[in-house]
Amino acid sequence: MRTKFSGILTLLLAFVVQLTFAQTKTISGNVTDDSGLPLPGVNVVKKGTSDGTQTDFDGIYSIKADKGSVLVFSYVGFKAKEVTVGDRNSINVQLFADAAELEEVVVEAFRTSTKATSNISSVTITAQTVEARPNASFVQTLQGQVAGLNITTSTGQPGGNSTINLRGISSINGNTEPLFIIDGAPVDEDNFRSLNPNDIESLSVLKDAGATAIYGNRGANGVIIIKTKRGGFNSKLKISYTGITSFSELQEADYSLNNSQQQLQLERDFGSGLGTTLTDAEIAAFGTTDWADVFFDTGITQNHTLSLTSGGKNVSTFTSFGYYDQEGILQQSGLKRFNFRNNVSGKSDNDKFNYGTNFSINYSENEEPNSIGSGAINRNYVLGAFQSVPYLSPADYTNGADLVAQGNFFRNTPLLLLDRLNTFARTENEVKIIASANASYKITKDITASATISGDFTDQQRFRAEGPESFNAILFAQNGNTTPGFQDQRTTRTFAFNSLTSINYHKTFAEKHTVDVSAFTEYFKAHLINFGFQQNGLNPRTFSFGDGSGFVPDNSANDFFVDTVDSTLSNAGLFSYFGQADYDYDQKYGLSATVRRDASYRFSESNRWGTFYSVSGRWNISAENFMQDSIFDLLKLRASYGTAGNQRIVDAVGQFAYFSAPDLTRDLFATGAGYAGQGALSLAQIGNNTLKWETVVSSNIGLDFELFNRRLRGSFDVYQRNTEDLFQNSPISAINSATSLRANVGELENRGFDFNLAYDVIKNGNDGFNLTVNVVGNYNKQEVIDLPTEDGIVFNGGNTVLREGGPINEYYVYRYVGVNPANGNLLFLDANGDVTENPNPNTDRVFTGKNISPDYQGSFGLQADYKGFFATAQFNYTIGVDRFDFDYSGFIDPNAIGQFRHSTDLQRAWTPDNRITDIPSLTATNLALDANSDRFIRSSDYLRLRFASLGYSVPSKFLKNTGFSTVKAFVNGENLFTITEWQGFDAESDNSTANRYPTPRVISIGFEIGF
Amino acid sequence: MKKINKIFLSFCIVAAALTSCQDAIEIDQPGRLGAENAFRNVSDLELGILGTYNLLDNTAQIGFTSVITDEVGIGVENGGQRVGLFSQIVNVTDGDAQSIWVTNYAAINSANRIIEAAQTITPDASEQEVYDSVLGQAYAIRAYAHFQLLSYFSTDLTDDNALGVIMVDFVPEVSQTLPRNTNGEVFQLITSDLDRAATLVSASATNVTFITRNFVTALRARMAAYRGQYTQADTYASQVLANVPIATRNQFSSVFADNSNAGIVFKLERTVNDSYDNQATAGGGRAGTLYSFVTAPVGGGNFLEMGRSLFNALSTDDIRFDRYVDDSSVIDPNYATSATYLNSDLLAIGIYEGSEGVNLMNDIKIFRASEMLLIRAEALANSGNINGASNSTAALIKQLRDARYATAQPLPTYANETEAFGDILDERRLELAFQGHRYLDIKRLGQRGNRSVVRDPRDCETNGACTLESTSHLFTMPIPQVELNANSVIRAQQNPGY
Repeated sequence: MRTKFSGILTLLLAFVVQLTFAQTKTISGNVTDDSGLPLPGVNVVKKGTSDGTQTDFDGIYSIKADKGSVLVFSYVGFKAKEVTVGDRNSINVQLFADAAELEEVVVEAFRTSTKATSNISSVTITAQTVEARPNASFVQTLQGQVAGLNITTSTGQPGGNSTINLRGISSINGNTEPLFIIDGAPVDEDNFRSLNPNDIESLSVLKDAGATAIYGNRGANGVIIIKTKRGGFNSKLKISYTGITSFSELQEADYSLNNSQQQLQLERDFGSGLGTTLTDAEIAAFGTTDWADVFFDTGITQNHTLSLTSGGKNVSTFTSFGYYDQEGILQQSGLKRFNFRNNVSGKSDNDKFNYGTNFSINYSENEEPNSIGSGAINRNYVLGAFQSVPYLSPADYTNGADLVAQGNFFRNTPLLLLDRLNTFARTENEVKIIASANASYKITKDITASATISGDFTDQQRFRAEGPESFNAILFAQNGNTTPGFQDQRTTRTFAFNSLTSINYHKTFAEKHTVDVSAFTEYFKAHLINFGFQQNGLNPRTFSFGDGSGFVPDNSANDFFVDTVDSTLSNAGLFSYFGQADYDYDQKYGLSATVRRDASYRFSESNRWGTFYSVSGRWNISAENFMQDSIFDLLKLRASYGTAGNQRIVDAVGQFAYFSAPDLTRDLFATGAGYAGQGALSLAQIGNNTLKWETVVSSNIGLDFELFNRRLRGSFDVYQRNTEDLFQNSPISAINSATSLRANVGELENRGFDFNLAYDVIKNGNDGFNLTVNVVGNYNKQEVIDLPTEDGIVFNGGNTVLREGGPINEYYVYRYVGVNPANGNLLFLDANGDVTENPNPNTDRVFTGKNISPDYQGSFGLQADYKGFFATAQFNYTIGVDRFDFDYSGFIDPNAIGQFRHSTDLQRAWTPDNRITDIPSLTATNLALDANSDRFIRSSDYLRLRFASLGYSVPSKFLKNTGFSTVKAFVNGENLFTITEWQGFDAESDNSTANRYPTPRVISIGFEIGF
Repeated sequence: MKKINKIFLSFCIVAAALTSCQDAIEIDQPGRLGAENAFRNVSDLELGILGTYNLLDNTAQIGFTSVITDEVGIGVENGGQRVGLFSQIVNVTDGDAQSIWVTNYAAINSANRIIEAAQTITPDASEQEVYDSVLGQAYAIRAYAHFQLLSYFSTDLTDDNALGVIMVDFVPEVSQTLPRNTNGEVFQLITSDLDRAATLVSASATNVTFITRNFVTALRARMAAYRGQYTQADTYASQVLANVPIATRNQFSSVFADNSNAGIVFKLERTVNDSYDNQATAGGGRAGTLYSFVTAPVGGGNFLEMGRSLFNALSTDDIRFDRYVDDSSVIDPNYATSATYLNSDLLAIGIYEGSEGVNLMNDIKIFRASEMLLIRAEALANSGNINGASNSTAALIKQLRDARYATAQPLPTYANETEAFGDILDERRLELAFQGHRYLDIKRLGQRGNRSVVRDPRDCETNGACTLESTSHLFTMPIPQVELNANSVIRAQQNPGY
């Protein structure tokens, strides 16, 4: 039997083989889309084999195939088509867009849905917009791209922290920044300088309660979910390299400043400073130094990323290496980093078990000068750059000892800072590891169990040293201390662990009813170890930065060289369980609900548990029968309502954020140094045992739409967010030995709308000209609803106030109206609006309605391409920001004549011969009163060309047979120009402080190759 | 069946997570000492009182007094420091009023905690003396801090019915908001606290950086003088002077260099690496940083210099000139007409030049014998004994001047009481300069002695604030905004003019 069967089989095989040899032929043809345009890059594969080819730039293919075999034509976004090879040698195919494929994937908290079945308000940004930008932190790149996400960067420090607020500021004192989750790992939202933006696949911003309530304890300020790149199964090894070189420079301010002659003349006329001792001829001989050119310089950035992706049947990987080296425009600032990432995905043969791991290790070295923004003339380089008198020059600097002997510290500011450049150093080295692993198992067809664990590890080492021969060391040395100076070293290590376990049930009944239900538990624990010491006393003979050879030991004669040591251990933890249920009827109607119970270690002795929930629903209007022939491809109405919590009582930044204010519920004593340095026992903290969660109640109504075959796309959302039980410093009487206690009092409201709109103005496919324009916008109105005081006003000190009915930190000042022609004094309005020279700061100040938060902000831009050439432009705008221009106030301050540089505006100052002017007399007797006035409040609204890019991507038809799959070159620019009334250095800053490090203008060139 | 098992297994994973959750939310942070366990024995109380002492500071008072009166002028290195207050702008949100209010109440709170904790601790016989001493110091600090507050925040210390400050002789609850008591009520508490302190504090305690019985008497003397109760003032001041004679001319400089305790009744110790060993241009740090950034001499960052009118009142034969005016000063004899006054006339303040090798750090003198002497002079003027070679205002003024000048000084003669009080004020201006007295002195004696704040015209040409009459509302500080924010009952009790 067996023999006979084998014989037949052999015979059959021989026949088939013979037949095959006889019938193989070359098939060719073209592939077009539904409008008849050629489709390049379509995969043409013989079914059941890996033999295949791709269409070329004109949509033409050619393949050897046997009669009777089946060719599969597939292309992303189109329905695949199968054609059986017959007698003809030419097969032309038309592919049609696949409705299901068109559905963008919508990233939600713990699942993904599609545009049609999502109930939430969210925006996803893809790799394209993050890659190839020169910013060390991807957060800066996000600016203006998401409606309602307000990002301001107030420092030009490479990799510096940005302020991120979603739909307004939701807390007065607590954390106001969104939760960031990278591949399932919740991470520190202030420190992205070590991460490589080129590894990012997508960023999703979850905005409304329907999306964020499920993050309960950490979702109050929105959630940003970041996914890094992964390999696909069954894909060939692909290697790609991107290299970018950037040049950064200072964005200049618009002040008209004195040259040396003008400055010295002013000093002489006023009777203060070097000018008073000089003759006309001597004044004329001075050169002018622009100190901004001394302390700022063009910075060069090198950015290289190499990535490899590949995939087998059950495993796929993505590996990348990055090297980044940015010179800051300010002296002594810079960032170098090395990144390595490896992401692995795997699955079982039957697809029931899936797993993924994400691992990145990053090392960065950061040079970051401190005291930036301060008034320290011996420490803040920016102050030296902007304010220094122009008649000194770098050649005037000799050494620190000479500067101490010279005195005249204010005038010598630039020289003190040159000395600091020579003698001071500060570096931060950081190792950051973000790792996560997830696994899921389909227990039955409908039930899946999943688990995700993740860790965020940061180890930061900071070195700082002031050399023994520096001006600062000598100046502040004790009498008789011949080896001053200090070096300190600090190590801060944090580890945060998060574990999420869930079970999901998903089933469709009667074809139209889909139910999705999940239950979760989440466990979070974080640990901090912080250790630092400061060595006082360095021996110049052997001292070298970072090394201890020059440390001077303590002695019996004095306590000058006693070192200080400190060490901290802290722990933090959260625990939650929660559930989600989602129901869909025929992709027409949907309803979701979430509920979450959260416990925080911060409230362990008061109100440990909080409960947060949301409900959301949608109506896919375009899926209704009556909409069938409409212009709408998608029209969907969404609504959500829910709550989310904030337990970050204090808005601490960076590594300490998880650990700040851990037990404000307790009355504590501390042992430590008391009177005359002796040990003592003293009250350290008065507790509030009623502390609980700050809760944000949000409602959102939104509309998503796509029209005219998706040429016009967009969404519009109206929202209201009320923060209840605000964390505020509730004032307490000073008899308690404190003046305030952190408590849950008051309410704050943010309401507004956001929208995004994109329109394909010209659409010609790959062979023609394409132009898309887009606009993103947000309007947000803040209102303080309720405050702890009876009269509804809390004075912050300085010139800002919180007032029920007003915005956060509203300016509270008296009004400056000009110069009194009679005597050159300043004129103000009193509370009644009458002109006065002597307003009373206690009774004449008024609420201005102005503050530093924008009313409108967003961006608009365009993308165009033509036969491989592409161009992008993004303009950002901000309206409704008012700031004090303290830099300018310094430039026209007569008290600083002889010390700092001044504006030429002072030439217009009032004199008996020049009575009608906007600049008061240099000897106006009420000059000090302007400190509580609106004299220097300026609008900082701006329109800025935030980003523009121009490039060429070689079309694939030219790359055929070259081995390359991508070759691309581009030039781009950040902050190319700004239109603003703001005269100062950076209209973008969210801060009134003078002498800060402005963000730079950056021009980059780069290329990308793949094979 | 197999399927059921798998479901069961999954739930076990969930359950395992649930049971181990407690360690994430019940975290006892390391290194915490709960208030309930703070004081267990007499040693703890001893440590506690060292914490209380550390809350005492006088730099805000000294700085405020110097800047608002005529003790200082704007210095050549001024980058805007203190110009608002120098223009006599006083605001409820100012740091000075807040600092004086808050630090004194913190000291009171700390003292009350020790007094209350002491009730729960029964000392052994061997511990009794220490226990009493700690308790006595706590009462004395409570009295001193209350009196500091009254001095700056009460409109009129001679009126027992005038509004004083909040009197606190217990550890309050955070929800408590109390109104101001009358001066009379607060004086009563201070008096009873001082009576206790006078017996509890050891008679053998002589260290002037801690509270002694002389401290108690000196405080009684000052309080009586401020209240206008001159008979008592004279008695108490005489008692102190019997124990602590005034420093001689030879001792004067070393007293301020912290090398001698001659004439010192009480001073706050300031030493290397203590919690006040830092910069603070407006109080709370080294005293000398109230006037200069780095060092006292010219070139050390003098953002405030000696007021020209005070300088003009100092004779070069006076040892106080040597101590107060730093040697490096550049004196422009033609300052009044100099076109470059700020640069040509450099009067560096030398009183707090530093000690223990640390620039600008000096002990803070609170009670000195010479103040007691001048209190006696006031008492005698008040009783009409203004002239005469003994037992008169004139005699005491001469006694003090003789101890300050190189040669014996003439016995003054006064035409009337006003002249006598005027001369007392002038002498206090010199003897107690930069020690936080001028403001209170003008307030309480300005009218009686016909004196007010008078700056040299060159010092006030930029702001026009050349004088300040003793009747100005600015001579009582505003109840600070931080208290008004918390305490609704006190809002209606704000001092006039704010």
